[in-house]
Amino acid sequence: MKHPSLKKRLLLAVLAAITLVWVAATAITYLDAREELGEVLDAHLAQSASLLAAQAPHELDEIDTDHAPQLHKYSRRVAFQIWEQGKTLRLHSANAPQERLADKDHGFSDRIIDGHPWRVFSTWDEENEHLIQVAERSSAREHLARDIAGNLLLPLLIALPVLALLLWLAVTNALRPLNGLTQEVERRDPDNLASLDIASAPAEVVPLIKRLNRLFGRIRETFDNERRFTADAAHELRTPVAAIKAQAQVARAASDEAGRMHALDNAIAGCDRATHLIEQLLTLARLDAARENAMESCSLRQIASEVIAELAPAALEKNAHIELAESDDATVRGLPALLRILLRNLIDNAVRHNPAETLVTVRVSLEAGRPAITVSDNGPGVSGEDLERLSQRFYRPLGTAASGSGLGLSIVRRIAEIHDAEFRISTAEASRGLRIAILFPAA
Amino acid sequence: MRILVVEDDALLGDAIQAGLKQAGFAVDWVKDGAQADQALSTEPYDASVLDIGLPRLSGLDVLRRLRQRKATTPVLLLTARDTVDDRIQGLDSGADDYLVKPFDMGELAARLRALIRRASGNTAPALHAGEVTLDPSAHAATCRGQAVDLSATEFSLLHALLLNAGKVLSRAQLEEKLYAWGEEVESNAIEVHIHHLRRKLYPELIETIRGVGYLVR
Repeated sequence: MKHPSLKKRLLLAVLAAITLVWVAATAITYLDAREELGEVLDAHLAQSASLLAAQAPHELDEIDTDHAPQLHKYSRRVAFQIWEQGKTLRLHSANAPQERLADKDHGFSDRIIDGHPWRVFSTWDEENEHLIQVAERSSAREHLARDIAGNLLLPLLIALPVLALLLWLAVTNALRPLNGLTQEVERRDPDNLASLDIASAPAEVVPLIKRLNRLFGRIRETFDNERRFTADAAHELRTPVAAIKAQAQVARAASDEAGRMHALDNAIAGCDRATHLIEQLLTLARLDAARENAMESCSLRQIASEVIAELAPAALEKNAHIELAESDDATVRGLPALLRILLRNLIDNAVRHNPAETLVTVRVSLEAGRPAITVSDNGPGVSGEDLERLSQRFYRPLGTAASGSGLGLSIVRRIAEIHDAEFRISTAEASRGLRIAILFPAA
Repeated sequence: MRILVVEDDALLGDAIQAGLKQAGFAVDWVKDGAQADQALSTEPYDASVLDIGLPRLSGLDVLRRLRQRKATTPVLLLTARDTVDDRIQGLDSGADDYLVKPFDMGELAARLRALIRRASGNTAPALHAGEVTLDPSAHAATCRGQAVDLSATEFSLLHALLLNAGKVLSRAQLEEKLYAWGEEVESNAIEVHIHHLRRKLYPELIETIRGVGYLVR
């Protein structure tokens, strides 16, 4: 694709405007000059005729027309005839034809003689004996008008290249800050996402720079998040791997069978935990690619019953019970797969981090018009300080079972964010256990 | 040699405890910074393995508090962070050594032995007293050039006495060095083990200071 050059466009536009205005002015001058000239020359023609008329009767014989001197370059284009009684040609200029210059006896007329247009003035002398006709080639007028217009156009032809050069320099100078900006952006390596300097930028470019800086800021934030997450994830994986390695080495060096089995069981548990952590990390990474435009209408109640049916058997092995409280349904616009992950994490957390015999209650409701899903348990609950830090990535409160990844609530929060839903964590009023509510925006 | 392991991860802590026991250490294991701070300020540990990321009080804070108390207990930091800055910060906070997860159990035990040896003023890996030589890394003792077969407890007892050669150690001090929390200690256990050592080596090696304790010169 060809990119239009701002410099070239500016230059062409300004030059075209100047040419247009100049040519228009010339055309108007030309038309005006032609009309004025016509009037002046007509008056001149009429005056010549009246001079002849005044002289003709007395001095006709004295005029030596055949040898009239050429007084001016235009004089060859002027002719006259004197007709006695309008019928007999008594006198004429050398360049005048033998027939009458004009049929009319009075006033101005235009004729074509020998293929040339002529302007003719006819008049009778005072005694009405002689008809005097004076003519002038019309082309003389055209020439004059064109000369005047031409004199106006000539400077334009000289001025245009000079103007173009001056404009080129001016535009180049004016666009220099833009070039500077381009070079600054060009010189950057991809890691440099610092804001561009706005102080020296011209007013027209400031909005562009501001938007660029905002974009840089957003990209920087995303990069930082990714970088921090990758680093955190890698470090978090080191602990379970260290545990597996250490347990395996203990098993190898164990002298008694019970000790070896204990270490091997722990090594396997460590593998399970590393696997769980990896799965959660992948879930979290995939969430960032979630497409909001794929959202559809979902029934929270249906999602809740599906997830509970899926998790209940495993929970029962721990003697934990999951129940769906009797409630109305609520519909939200969302990604059902993600909403299932959200609920699975909440229920899984409640079962995983509570003692056996825990009752986990899931409730779908409308809170002041906002669809909500609440998961609460009757476990020992969480202290105030831990409550705040609970949804931080990789945070596991003291005494947490080894199988947690510390990522479950991060995933829940991220999915809530994608759905513009609010995440609320509190202590359940009735049971003193943990209560987590997700409030979706009102439909 | 009694070690305090501070690790909040259940599986890893369990493994370190088991592995160090196999290497002949007496190991106490706590799971958060506050408990570690408490334990380090009340019990005489020969060394501590300290995780940096801990609940309640970070490993580095535990370390700073320990050094503020002028305690010289050797500390080996255990961490998932491995940048140079992390290491510098750890060592500058008062750590004696640094090990990045995942690590080798054998290396952890060897580094602890080295730390304990240095802390006791010895630089040679083997300890000598009289006619006895003890090599902690090989878990081997020789007397007059002959290898001597010692039980794990006897070995630890001899190790403690040789590390503190020239100093009198009380029965209580020896018990603290030999036994982790929760381990059953018979009231005359130390006397019995001393008796065995004298029999397996030679009687004059360990002197009894009546009413005070035992001494190796």
